[in-house]
Amino acid sequence: MIRQAMIGAIAIAAWTAPSAHAHIAPSAPQMMPTSIGYQPNDAVEKGLWLEMDEAERQMRTSKFLVDDPELIAYLQRVLCRAVGKDKCGAARIYLMRTPHFNAAMAPNGMMIVWSGLLLRVRNEAELATVLGHEFSHFEKQHSLKSFRDIKAKSDAVAWLGFVPGGIFAQIGLMGSVFRFNREMEKEADMAALEYLSSSGYDPMAASQIWEQLRGEMEAQAKADKSVAKEAENDFFSSHPNTKDRMEYLRSAAKRKAPNNENGADRYRETIARWWPRLIEDQVKLGDFASTEYLLASLARGQWTADLLYGRGELYRARGKKGDFEAAEGFYRQAIKADAKLAESWRGLGLVLLRQGKAVEGRKMLRQYLTISRVAGDKAIIGLMAQEPAK
Amino acid sequence: MRLVPMAISLFALIGLSVPLAAEWKSVAANQDVRVAGKLMLATPGEGWNTSTARPSDRSERWTRDGLALNELTFFAGVADGEALYFVPAGISKDLPTFRSGMLPTDVVELFEASNRIVLGSSVFAVDNMEPAKLGDHDAVRFSYRYAAQDEGLTRKGEGVAAIVGGQLYLVNFIAPAVHYFERDIAEVRQLIAGVQLHPPKAAEPK
Repeated sequence: MIRQAMIGAIAIAAWTAPSAHAHIAPSAPQMMPTSIGYQPNDAVEKGLWLEMDEAERQMRTSKFLVDDPELIAYLQRVLCRAVGKDKCGAARIYLMRTPHFNAAMAPNGMMIVWSGLLLRVRNEAELATVLGHEFSHFEKQHSLKSFRDIKAKSDAVAWLGFVPGGIFAQIGLMGSVFRFNREMEKEADMAALEYLSSSGYDPMAASQIWEQLRGEMEAQAKADKSVAKEAENDFFSSHPNTKDRMEYLRSAAKRKAPNNENGADRYRETIARWWPRLIEDQVKLGDFASTEYLLASLARGQWTADLLYGRGELYRARGKKGDFEAAEGFYRQAIKADAKLAESWRGLGLVLLRQGKAVEGRKMLRQYLTISRVAGDKAIIGLMAQEPAK
Repeated sequence: MRLVPMAISLFALIGLSVPLAAEWKSVAANQDVRVAGKLMLATPGEGWNTSTARPSDRSERWTRDGLALNELTFFAGVADGEALYFVPAGISKDLPTFRSGMLPTDVVELFEASNRIVLGSSVFAVDNMEPAKLGDHDAVRFSYRYAAQDEGLTRKGEGVAAIVGGQLYLVNFIAPAVHYFERDIAEVRQLIAGVQLHPPKAAEPK
């Protein structure tokens, strides 16, 4: 299921938990929320902050938190390059292992990025687009404005405190409470484009990410009309139409100085360790059509061993008529691309066994056992790789 | 923007009406007990309870101290094309289904995929798979760990699964990794080792 990046309120909080972020004395009222030491101005903002500080405390103990300081530092660096070193310290990035396209910001400076976003952006410039978009909502205090509107109608802060399910529910609620109107979304889009351009990234990246997302949504729409329709309606109720968005971002980018720097290699290198896990999480969602689209768009005609292996796994897991044969082909290509990727041999062996090609299947499993370093399934695969007793 | 399906605990597996409508009964100790229909026999020790709320038509769930602390689930006679669980409310996709032609490792993958979907969790890792027995039948024993959203707990699980006459039989135990799993696993292993299967006559392997 594709989830749209949802954007939350931001105002940089007094950091109550011990952290690396220095807590600085009270601010002057004219300070920007991105200024270090900014303080909330009134009861509404203070209440919102208290809730979000609590949510952040929960977040820090979540089992879904990706504990990889290097990777988090990288995300923070990309944000800093995009929005400027003088401001970026106002946001603290948390990476959650959740395989959907999403990011959110809380009104105390907590920025939440879901791991599914890392699978969907193809370079640093696209990543900077999303981080910059989020950050600009914060900077412009869009959420606080929205929240004041809600406050006028209901006691949303009290409501926020009673949400069962902790941080995930709260983030979800932020998605529904802090609904920005299309103007705000467009403003954040354009701000993100400015950030891209001024920080030396390819300004075209901003439209490219929506293009990719739109393709994925369409693939899903074809596969499952009901889900897609709902997602689409939900999306379009608060966001500019994806096609419009792509177009206005593209035409605005054309007016910027062209720049081809998108940091694709650096991005690939940095998330290389996570790449197989990101693919695995996506494949295991069981969303065949959108995963198939996503893998193809990640490959862009250049199928790497990881992507081919993922595709093999996707077809093997579905196991419909013809899927095992297709999976066999993908595993074989994966092995051709990188014979050291042990899991490809495993997949090939299993899919051959499922097709009744037992002798060859067992041979491939033995090869897997030979090259696999640590495998928790060695004992069972070892048994499956043996000739059956007569 | 749609919310991710949220599973606060494995209660979500059982559907909407739980835990309000679930009734618990104690399980007779130290004697043969029929479980999950007539297809499985177990001989439990003291203190187990069985729930009227079942994860699927082919299964039965036991606990000793409440599902949050220990959960023992029996699946018996899951047929070709059937899923392991009823689809929980709020989940808009189908669960993967069991296939008669599955390999032992496929069954473990099916279990993992089903749980990832119902829990809405990607924090699920199978640590180990090894040959074992379930009743007199060749089986696979697998162990894993996972977290459900917002629980702040890592749970450990261990299951044993066999395909007999093209149908799936599986016993699975889950408990928090802290203390409870280690406390109970030796006894649970013994219980699982004593499970007997009574596949329907038509399904007896030739």
